[in-house]
Amino acid sequence: MRNAFITIVVVVALVAGAAWTTSSARAVAESGQGPKLTSVGPLAFSADGTLFAADNLAATIYSLDLGTQAAGATPGAKGLDGIDKTLADMLGTAPGEIAITDLAVHPRSHNAFVSVMRGQGASASPALFRVDGAGKIDLVTLQSLKFSKVELPNAPAAPNTVSRRNSRSETVTDMALVDGKLWVAGLSNEEFASKLRAIPYPFSAVDNGTSVEIFHGNHAAVETRSPVYAFVPYTVGGQQNLIAGYLCTPLVKFAIAGLKAGEKVRGTTIAELGAGNRPIDMLVYNKGGQDFLLMSNTSRGVMKIPTRDFATATPITTPVTRETGGIPYETIASMRGIEQMDLLDAQNSIVLARTQAGLNLQVVPLP
Amino acid sequence: MIVRALRAAALASLIALAVACGRGTPPSAAIVLNTSTPTASVEVTGLSSDIAAALEKPRTPEAWASILRVAVSSEAPPVLGTYRVVGRTLRFTPAFPFDPGRQYQVRFDASIVHGPVLAATVGLPASVDAPSTTVAAVYPSGDVLPENLLRMYVIFSAPMSAASGIGHLELLGADGTPVEGAFLPLDYEFWSPDHTRFTVFFDPGRVKRGILPNRQSGRALVRGGRYTLVVKTTWRDANGRPLKEEFLKTFMAGAAEMQPLDTADWRIQAPGGGSRAPLSVRFPKPLDRALLTRALDVRRAGEPVAGEAHVDDGETRWRFTPREPWAPGRYELLALSILEDRAGNQIGRAFEVDNFETVDKDPDPKTVTVGFTIAK
Repeated sequence: MRNAFITIVVVVALVAGAAWTTSSARAVAESGQGPKLTSVGPLAFSADGTLFAADNLAATIYSLDLGTQAAGATPGAKGLDGIDKTLADMLGTAPGEIAITDLAVHPRSHNAFVSVMRGQGASASPALFRVDGAGKIDLVTLQSLKFSKVELPNAPAAPNTVSRRNSRSETVTDMALVDGKLWVAGLSNEEFASKLRAIPYPFSAVDNGTSVEIFHGNHAAVETRSPVYAFVPYTVGGQQNLIAGYLCTPLVKFAIAGLKAGEKVRGTTIAELGAGNRPIDMLVYNKGGQDFLLMSNTSRGVMKIPTRDFATATPITTPVTRETGGIPYETIASMRGIEQMDLLDAQNSIVLARTQAGLNLQVVPLP
Repeated sequence: MIVRALRAAALASLIALAVACGRGTPPSAAIVLNTSTPTASVEVTGLSSDIAAALEKPRTPEAWASILRVAVSSEAPPVLGTYRVVGRTLRFTPAFPFDPGRQYQVRFDASIVHGPVLAATVGLPASVDAPSTTVAAVYPSGDVLPENLLRMYVIFSAPMSAASGIGHLELLGADGTPVEGAFLPLDYEFWSPDHTRFTVFFDPGRVKRGILPNRQSGRALVRGGRYTLVVKTTWRDANGRPLKEEFLKTFMAGAAEMQPLDTADWRIQAPGGGSRAPLSVRFPKPLDRALLTRALDVRRAGEPVAGEAHVDDGETRWRFTPREPWAPGRYELLALSILEDRAGNQIGRAFEVDNFETVDKDPDPKTVTVGFTIAK
C-alpha cells in the first residue's frame, strides 16, 4: 500500500541573535571540577565519551568528563526490571517521587547512564546513575567530575517588563554533537517558536551559538512556526543532515550546511505520523548493509524507517488522506511503552519501557 | 529547608525502636536519627571504643551497607550515602535527604568486629500543614476564547512541584465529557523559573489547518462550544501538599483568530507632559498575557524610558507609568516581534500564512516601532 505523498516544506531562517537588548542575553561559559547541577536531562554523548547534560532549571548545558566513572566493572548494560523502584529505593524515596529524564549509552564502555530527578518540590535534586553489563547500578559522583558549561541565552525582554521579572524559560528537549557544534533543540514556555541552536564546542564565552527558527508548511502552502522536539544527525546524500521530529508530528530532514545566517533553507518532510503523536527518541543503525531510523513515539509505538530513500524522496505535492503519509515505515509491535531509547551496540538498543509492573530497563535486539 | 523546619519536631517524635539482639551489646548502644547534622543522619551511638576503632577503616559502599543498612523496606537495596565513624558513633549520611513522613528500616550488624546487632525504624515526621496553595488566575482571562487557542497559563499562589501538570488538568465539554487529547503531552514541564506559572499547550497539530492530526481529529475547541478547564486538587505544591481547592474556568469557544497583529489598529493614548499619568495602549483583541508583559517598551531618542508597565482589561490594554514625569516630545512604543495574540499570530505575520513565499521576505523582524507624542 502506497501512501499519498504530501508536500511539506520547511524554511529555516537564521536568527542572528536578539536585537532588543543584551541585558537578558547570557553568554557565559566556564569550566572546573564538581558541577553544581540543579537539574539533569536530557543527556547526549559525544563519540569520545564526553557527556552533555542539560540543566533545564538553570538553562545551562554541561559537558562532563566522566573520567574513571565512564566504565563500570563490566562493559555493556544489562536489562533490569523495575529500575524505577530500584533507583527510588537507592535514593531513599518512592518511585512516584522520582522522574527518569533520559537514558544514554557511553560510546566506549557501552554502560547505560540514566538521569533522574529525585523529588518534585523545591528540594528536588539531580542524580546520575550508571548501569553496567552485570546490572550493577552506581551513582555517578558529580563532585569529582571535570566539567565545562554554557548558559543558554534567554529571550529578550523589555527593560520595563511587568513586575521586572522575566518569567520566560526554555527547555532543552534534545542535543547532539556534530562536527564541533552541539545542536540543541528547545521549547519556550511562552512564544511558540522553535529554537534550534548550534553551540560551538568546546564552549566559549564569546560565542553562545546561532539560533535557527524553524517553519513548517503544509500542502496548502500554509506555514507556521513549529518547534523541533527530537532529532538525530544523519548523512543524507553525502551531506550532514538533521532528521528532526516536530511537535505537530511530521518527520523532516534538513542539511546542516545550509544553516547559514541570512540564507533560506528548505527541508523536506519525509513522513507524517498522524494525530496525537510525538516523537520521543531517534537512533540510526545498520542492519544487513542497510541503514534504518528507529523512532519511538508517544502513541504510535516504535517505527522502523529505512533511510535509503531519504536522499531521493520526491518533493511531496498532494495531501495525505490516509492515517499517515510519506516514507513508509514498519511499526515494531514488540517494542511497547518505550519512554527512552538509545543505541546500545551494533546489534541492540536499550530502552526504558513502561509496563504495568513498573519501568523496565530492557536490552532489545535491533529490529 | 523542610528538614530544618522539622528538626526540632523530629527529635521529639523519633521512633527508633531499637532491638538489641546481639552478643556483647553495650547497654547504651542505640540507633538514632540525628537531625542536628546539616542533613538528617542515622547514627549508631554508644559504641565501645574497641568496636568504633575496628569499624574505622576504608570500606566499599557494599561492605559498609552490610554493617549499617538503611533502606525504605526490608527487601529494598540500601539507601545511598556515606559512612563515617565519629568518636564512638557510626554515622550514615544519606546522599539525598530523607523524606519527611517516610519510614526507613535500619539494621546495624557489627558481628564482623564482634559488635552488636541492632534494628530500628526511623523517620522524620510528616508535614502536617494544611493545603494552602490555590490557583490565582488562568489566562487568557476572557469568557470567549478562540477555537485555535494555542496555550493557557495557570498561575498559582505559591511555588508548585515539578510533577507533571497535564495529569491534573482536564478540559470538559458542555456535557461534562472530557475532551480527549486536547493538550500536548510533553516529557518536560513548562514552568516559570519561580514555579508559579504553568504553560499548557494545546496540541498544535490539531490547531493547525491542513496538518494530518487536524484533519483526523479536528480542533479540540469548536466554535460555539462551551468548555470548562478543571485544575484538580491532586496537583501538589512545592511542599508536596495538594491544592486547597479545585479551580474551574468555563468559557465559550469563539471564532478562530487568523489575522496578524497590526500596530495601526492599536490606540495609543498619550498623557500630557509634566505628569506621571500612564500611557495607554489598547489592542483590538486580547494578546498573549505572558508575551505582553515583556515584549513592549517605551523609548525616547532610542533610550528606554524607566517606569512600570501593567496589563489589564482582559489583556487588551497595556499601560505604562513613567518613573519621572513625561517630558514633552516624541517617543516610540517598541514591540518585540515575538508578541503574539492568543492564537500565535504575530505582528505582520499570522500563525498560519497562506502565502509561503512572501512571508520569508523579512524572516526576522526584530522590533516594530510606533511613534507617539507627549504634548506640552
